[in-house]
Amino acid sequence: MSRLTPVLFGAQLLIMGATVMAAQESGYDENALRVESRQGNLQILRGIEGTVVARAGIFHPPRLANLVTQSDSALAEAKIFERYYQPGQWIAALGIATLGATIGASRITDINPVIQVSLYATSFAALGYGGNRLHSAYGALSKAIWWYNRDLKR
Amino acid sequence: MKSGLIRALIVGASCTVTLVSTAAAQRIDSTRYDGQALRYESYWGSARIIRGADGPLVGTAGWFRSFDVEKLVASSAPARAEARVYKSNSFRASVVGTIGATAAVVGVALSANNSNTASTPILIIGGLGAMAWGAQHLHVAFSALSRSLWWYNRDLARPQLAPLPTPVPVPARETEQGKRNKDAQ
Repeated sequence: MSRLTPVLFGAQLLIMGATVMAAQESGYDENALRVESRQGNLQILRGIEGTVVARAGIFHPPRLANLVTQSDSALAEAKIFERYYQPGQWIAALGIATLGATIGASRITDINPVIQVSLYATSFAALGYGGNRLHSAYGALSKAIWWYNRDLKR
Repeated sequence: MKSGLIRALIVGASCTVTLVSTAAAQRIDSTRYDGQALRYESYWGSARIIRGADGPLVGTAGWFRSFDVEKLVASSAPARAEARVYKSNSFRASVVGTIGATAAVVGVALSANNSNTASTPILIIGGLGAMAWGAQHLHVAFSALSRSLWWYNRDLARPQLAPLPTPVPVPARETEQGKRNKDAQ
């Protein structure tokens, strides 16, 4: 029995090491996140199976912060994403609506050209500002997911 | 008593070696991910591929750009397959989206100049339709790119298996019976 003890102990250590390695790999396969866009809707999917774990609705971002709480860096980026996404969408939508209205107004023959130019300027400014906010939001989203997946491997 | 102590020392040493080697493997794995894992950020219809959280820009793909994503992720077979999907959809989206945008702008310009003809609404509606089709394909392309980088990063974690060493022929040791047979001959 006393001879068997070190053998059993060694086997247990080997099993433990193998389990740690396997858990690390399956951790990524099952839990790593990615972003996809289906029919124009932003979705966050998990693992090889691609289970949808969050999706963006009309003018609201996917609840990213709830998904990445395990990683501090990911959480910080997720908060930036959630802060910028919604205003970005609203302002860009306002820009598109203003542009549509401006194009419609341009068909009126006796419209003041100053009003027309102002409407164009407003719509392009809104589109630019909203687009810039959305760009910042998407950058933060990309970083959040990168950090989360990285910390899965630790 | 003495043998018990030696046994305990051996077990302790093997335990330490196993734990240290596991930790080292994890550290190497993590370092590889930190230094090589890719991500992308969409930027006005293009995809900027970046290495690491704040790392260098590897390239910009999309909108008639020739950056080869397939070559970048060549080390992972599933990533390569998704990169091909990205490439074909991105090209279609670029061509159709650009044609649509041009048609829509021309239509709007004609409309703004009060030189309305029958073609004006056709240009605007057709252009917007083509832009929508292009946008749809752009979404498909970005999803494929996301999957491609996901697979690439996933396969970074896998241990790189070294090729097996070629077997070296070892001369068989002559047994006592063999010696006796040789002497008898």
